[in-house]
Amino acid sequence: MRTALLLLVSVSALILCIGASPLGLFEVTQPRGLDFILQNSPTPQKYLIETMPGGVALLDYNNDGLLDIFLVNGGRVTSPMQSPENFDRKDPRYWNRLYRQNKDGSFTDVTEQAGLANAGDGNYGMGVAVGDYDNDGYPDLYVTSYGKNILYHNNGDGTFTDVTAKAGVAGGGWSVSAGFFDYDNDGKLDLFVTRYMEWDTKHSKSCGGEWHTYCPPEEFPATTNVLYHNNGDGTFTDVSQKSGIAAKKGRALGVAFADYDDDGFADIFVANDGMQQYLFHNNGNGTFTERALEAGAGLSEDGRRLSGMGVVFQDYDNDGRPDIVVTELPREIYGVYHNEGNGTFSYGSLVTGLGVLSSGSSGWGVGLEDFDNDGWKDLFVAQGHVLDNVEKIDPSLHYLELPMLAINHNGRFERADSGVTVPVAGRGAAFGDLNNDGWEDAVMTSLGGHLLVLINRGGKQHWLVISLRGTRSNRDGLGARVRVNGQTRFATIAGSYLSASDKRLHFGLGPATTAKIEIAWPSGIHQTLNDVPADQFLDVREPEKP
Amino acid sequence: MIWALFVLLLAWQTVSPEAQQHLQAAAEAERQKQFDRAVSEFQKVTELEPRSPDGFVRLGQAYMEKHDYGAAIQPLKHALELAPDLAAAHQLLGYALLAQGYAAEAIPHLERIQEQTALGIAQIETGQLPQAVTNLQAALAKHPNDPDLLYYLGRASGLLSKQSIDTLLATYPDSARAHQALAENYFVLRQMPQAEKEFQEALRLRPDIPKLHLELGEVYAGSSQWAKAEEEFRAETKLQPGNAEANYRLGTALLQQGKAREARTELQRADRLQPDMPETLYSLGKAASLEGDAVAAEKAWAKLLSIEKASSLAAQTHFALAGLYRKQGKTADAEREMQEFQKLQNPGAHPEAVQK
Repeated sequence: MRTALLLLVSVSALILCIGASPLGLFEVTQPRGLDFILQNSPTPQKYLIETMPGGVALLDYNNDGLLDIFLVNGGRVTSPMQSPENFDRKDPRYWNRLYRQNKDGSFTDVTEQAGLANAGDGNYGMGVAVGDYDNDGYPDLYVTSYGKNILYHNNGDGTFTDVTAKAGVAGGGWSVSAGFFDYDNDGKLDLFVTRYMEWDTKHSKSCGGEWHTYCPPEEFPATTNVLYHNNGDGTFTDVSQKSGIAAKKGRALGVAFADYDDDGFADIFVANDGMQQYLFHNNGNGTFTERALEAGAGLSEDGRRLSGMGVVFQDYDNDGRPDIVVTELPREIYGVYHNEGNGTFSYGSLVTGLGVLSSGSSGWGVGLEDFDNDGWKDLFVAQGHVLDNVEKIDPSLHYLELPMLAINHNGRFERADSGVTVPVAGRGAAFGDLNNDGWEDAVMTSLGGHLLVLINRGGKQHWLVISLRGTRSNRDGLGARVRVNGQTRFATIAGSYLSASDKRLHFGLGPATTAKIEIAWPSGIHQTLNDVPADQFLDVREPEKP
Repeated sequence: MIWALFVLLLAWQTVSPEAQQHLQAAAEAERQKQFDRAVSEFQKVTELEPRSPDGFVRLGQAYMEKHDYGAAIQPLKHALELAPDLAAAHQLLGYALLAQGYAAEAIPHLERIQEQTALGIAQIETGQLPQAVTNLQAALAKHPNDPDLLYYLGRASGLLSKQSIDTLLATYPDSARAHQALAENYFVLRQMPQAEKEFQEALRLRPDIPKLHLELGEVYAGSSQWAKAEEEFRAETKLQPGNAEANYRLGTALLQQGKAREARTELQRADRLQPDMPETLYSLGKAASLEGDAVAAEKAWAKLLSIEKASSLAAQTHFALAGLYRKQGKTADAEREMQEFQKLQNPGAHPEAVQK
């Protein structure tokens, strides 16, 4: 149990620079030592990759109890791009970065000593997935790119080793979001990688006529996603074809996992851009069937295709079933798919109030987290339009936007002050308790800008944070369904856009000072803990026997 | 340009045998579409019979058949000097002059024979827009769906509208109507901030003008500012309680904000005012569905599908019905509606293969 309350050191000048508000739920800070700038390198060529990065992960890589931050950088893009493509990732400006959190809340850049510098000149960085694929107790990193992806094994001594070649997970093409999950419940984390489209800088196009904009996705051919099965010996097997995942081509950007039909196997929701969304139902035999249309989660309420970008697969209305929220472009409104419990979903964007909140915005990273600890998961969305000149085309739209914070009142969302006052081109977003005070924080990347760190100011409500320790299941219990006082979370690190969140499960308890915890482990074991005191970080070990 | 070249059945009275020979040769050349030869033969006829207007008319017609309208003008004018009432000469000269851009000169000839199509076109060119609209409407009544007539009537009406608005803006630039006209122009150009400003100014000057609130509401709806749109649509419904569109728009604005119950009330009112408007029925079904009234939703959508069977709205309705049945656990019904949706949405294609 960890109860240490740590202060994050702020630099007032930088706070002013990124626009902190004294009144919001969050305090927007720039912790000392966290000097990352996301280099997307926009050019007059309008290469589509420039507007798509970058991911952020909250993970405790050194198991010291403090969340650290890993950030994926884009790269240098020239105008026009040279051949062969070289994104100059050797230059420290374009490195991905790992920041270790210190006890005083400041951060130290440990990228080089951790062995994470230079992600390869041919790779323009996109996102990150976190998971302990070898169950050694240390979280590993999988970094996606336009180019080749990299699997970094956490050595447990503060360093990482690039094991991509041995593991066989380099992928290729344009990978975007990725996530670890255990689709066959064998106790080993498998890996799903979304890919956007068949595109390269040689075949880039100019779109938008006189406006000269980034091209819409339909200008380029769709492509397949990739599913890797974990063999348990440090290697993976590409089972995309065998599993049926590759049977569906798409333009995937986001991915999230949950067992939507409660059959004991994790399913996959893929946010596709400019087409129907995909819901891959896990058949429990190593194969998947795409069922989004028949399940009612493939299109908008009016049957229109969506520009799906980020996605979260969690229960927003406390009925115990995972729902889906997909972030999209303006005028489409963010899609809310309410799980009806019979293997189908109903469209809930209007009835939840999210329609009116999102109709003018472009959403990317997204999370359903109980920021005010009242027992209802709230919504946070990183926002900003795809086109950096969208105001010229439609003055009512904006390239730079404030993030959305929407507080959940019994299943209906109402806008709240995020504390951010200066609009940014928001992209990745991750969630976790950075200062271990029991109140969920958020981080958000912005194109060409600093990482925004939103520290929850806290309050009087009670809370509980649970760390799962799988024994028969995968070590972190990913895929477990955890119920606490009537709320449900599906244990996952994936979701959002390009990003990975704190693996710990956070619950707001409202006025309750004790909790009843019910866990359905991926192994099939059910576990119940009664009268658990509130306001603690609780480690729960999976029973060896049912 | 609409041309109807008639074979002139001119009564040749007394012509010399030599002229008669050239006349027959010219007619044969015309049949063989050898217009240069026809012109040459008709020229010989006019030389042999300089007092006969008919030869000059046939010569002008032959020039026009070879699309040499400029050359046709002189013999046709000469024919009218010889016989001022010759209808065929007036008709051909009117066309020839119009083809050469002499619209004002063409008009008296076209008026004389009441050739409404060409007259309407000539009047557009000379800025006689109300007369042009009248003549083209009359011509269209005789030849419905003629694409050229439809085009010219649209053009004449548009220019007339612009002329009227230009006069309004020049004469009363500070009037409410002038601001409304400017706002509507900005709206069409998708310049919403300017449209909003002009509509607001129009409303400030004359808050009682019908449709102003409706139009401003549509500006807000276009940029998804639903609360503001609701306010304007509501104001319009108060000003014009019998306006079905205002109630429909108010209902949709409420629906977008998730206010299903209020939306339903407004949409029901719109449906009473103008029954069977498909858009109203679709939104009415959505509002009922959001309220959990599946029976009413199904009824509204079934009614819509009895009116519209193959439109995009029909496709949306099948999709909505599928969702309704899915929620009720009526799997077979849901699948049937999805099939109907897919048939209408993507004929011959898989949904994911079709781009937005």
